[in-house]
Amino acid sequence: MIDTYLFFGLALLSVLGALGLILFRHPMNGAMSFVVTLISLAGLYALLSAKLIFAIQLIVYAGAIMSLILFIIMFLNIQEEDLPVDTARWFYLAGGIVLLAPVAGLLLKIVESLPGEAEPLTEAGFGGVKQVGLVLFQQWLLPFEIVSILLLVALVGAVVLAGKRG
Amino acid sequence: MSALDIIMILLRIAFGVLVPLSFVAVLVWMERRGAAYFQDRSGPNRCNIMGFRAGGLVQNLADAIKLVFKEDVVPGHIRHKFYFILAPMLVFITALLCFAVIPFADVLLVGGSSYIMQAIPTDIGILWFLAIVGFGVYGIILAGWSSHNKYGVLGGLRAAAQVISYEIPMGLALVSLLAVYGTVNLTEMAQYQGQLLFGFIPMWGVVLQPLGVIIFIVAAFAETNRTPFDLAEGESEIVAGFHVEYSSMKFALFFMGEYVAMFVSSALIVTLYFGSYQIPWLATDTLLAYARPVTVLLMIGLPVIGYFFGQWIKKNNSSHYRREHDPRIRETKVYIALLWSLVVLLEVICLGYLLFAAGGGADRILVALLQIGTFLLKTFLMCFVYVWVRWTLPRFRYDQLQKIGWEKLLPLSLLNIFITSAVIVAFG
Repeated sequence: MIDTYLFFGLALLSVLGALGLILFRHPMNGAMSFVVTLISLAGLYALLSAKLIFAIQLIVYAGAIMSLILFIIMFLNIQEEDLPVDTARWFYLAGGIVLLAPVAGLLLKIVESLPGEAEPLTEAGFGGVKQVGLVLFQQWLLPFEIVSILLLVALVGAVVLAGKRG
Repeated sequence: MSALDIIMILLRIAFGVLVPLSFVAVLVWMERRGAAYFQDRSGPNRCNIMGFRAGGLVQNLADAIKLVFKEDVVPGHIRHKFYFILAPMLVFITALLCFAVIPFADVLLVGGSSYIMQAIPTDIGILWFLAIVGFGVYGIILAGWSSHNKYGVLGGLRAAAQVISYEIPMGLALVSLLAVYGTVNLTEMAQYQGQLLFGFIPMWGVVLQPLGVIIFIVAAFAETNRTPFDLAEGESEIVAGFHVEYSSMKFALFFMGEYVAMFVSSALIVTLYFGSYQIPWLATDTLLAYARPVTVLLMIGLPVIGYFFGQWIKKNNSSHYRREHDPRIRETKVYIALLWSLVVLLEVICLGYLLFAAGGGADRILVALLQIGTFLLKTFLMCFVYVWVRWTLPRFRYDQLQKIGWEKLLPLSLLNIFITSAVIVAFG
């Protein structure tokens, strides 16, 4: 029972945070409301008994990436007056809604067609560090390595780009 | 859910919240008296209630009263009041939440069910710590940014850059540790450390990871923004850094947050590297098997410790010159009476246990209490190391700090990972 309430609360918070990200004008407000979204998403992962994803969502997205973004906002010290005046804001918003409406409709259809299971779908230990690790490093080892090479390339690229200045 | 379940949940949460909070008082006291000791002076020793000074602990009470009744100023130039108020709360809450996954005793079996002795009995362990520590940075960034003050922004920048960059060597030191223990669960790590290496050395993290422990401790010092890494609040350069605009309880939250963070990272260092709650050579099973002899030893040891502690109080709690109606003589007498009544109380409890309750559940509770005591003692000693370092080493320059992090600790921790994994592959 409490799961349902938690789900609704977290879902509401994540949607509100996402709305805040778009609608707030000040970058700090936008970033902080996005943090709310990321944390509530972590909560939703935890409700799905994906413990490792919950922790990684908090460490990587809500913790590391967003704190870097906040750091940059603080570093540049952007105030309201520094922001450009965008007059076509509502126009873009309306256009975005029109474009995304079919996708949302499709998603709603998918959700409706899901089986209404009351039984838990996962076996014991699902989503723990060990289970995910075993799957990741046995079944999905090659994709994992390829992705890590991709990240390494991005890292080296960042270092090279940053080094050019000095 | 039985009544025992509810009691255990409440007890564990109370432990997880109240112990760090009471350690704040102890640590502030330890810091002041420790600083005084290192600088060859007395430290706060005059504050008293009816002549009782409790070795300077009463000073904390005076400070708390001062901070509570100070005017709570939100300067007029601050535009983002919400973030300004949120920041100290974030710093304090995240520091406190980190302690929630640290085990303070082995899994307790009472009344047919087992209880993991953590405030939040989860098995993600160290990942939780990493996640919550990341949020502590938000508090610092928001405080520095919303203060709208050059010193504040500089302090916030320094603190945030430092915490973010020292998370990397810390995480890498943890990687090799995880490879050794083979788990992220802190309770399982603690159980692992109860084993013996070659049959006689306690298998503590410090023995298995001598390089890792150094990297981790240095990174932990930097994470808590303590000297020699307290550039963020370098008084001589930027006044007080990110909390320069804060007063009253908002400042107190930063202040308490710093000490809670220091307690939690000491507890974590103890959990990861110094055997957690394990008493060397006496793992939980051994303790359970020899519960009665251990109790007898405890009953012999307690008066001896009490005697020496009493002598120490007598020696130190005295006036250094002749005074009429010296109040310290009475004070010392009361302290020693209290000490001995505590010893007698503990003896009676031990005796009662031996005569009436020995065996089964009582043994397990006794072992858990002993382990909690051990854990707190080790953490206390680790906190002393923090104070010791703070009053021994001078502050780094900022470029030196970043150089140590990126050019020394990072390669060293990578090397540590390679050596550790080579050893594990070869012998494990």
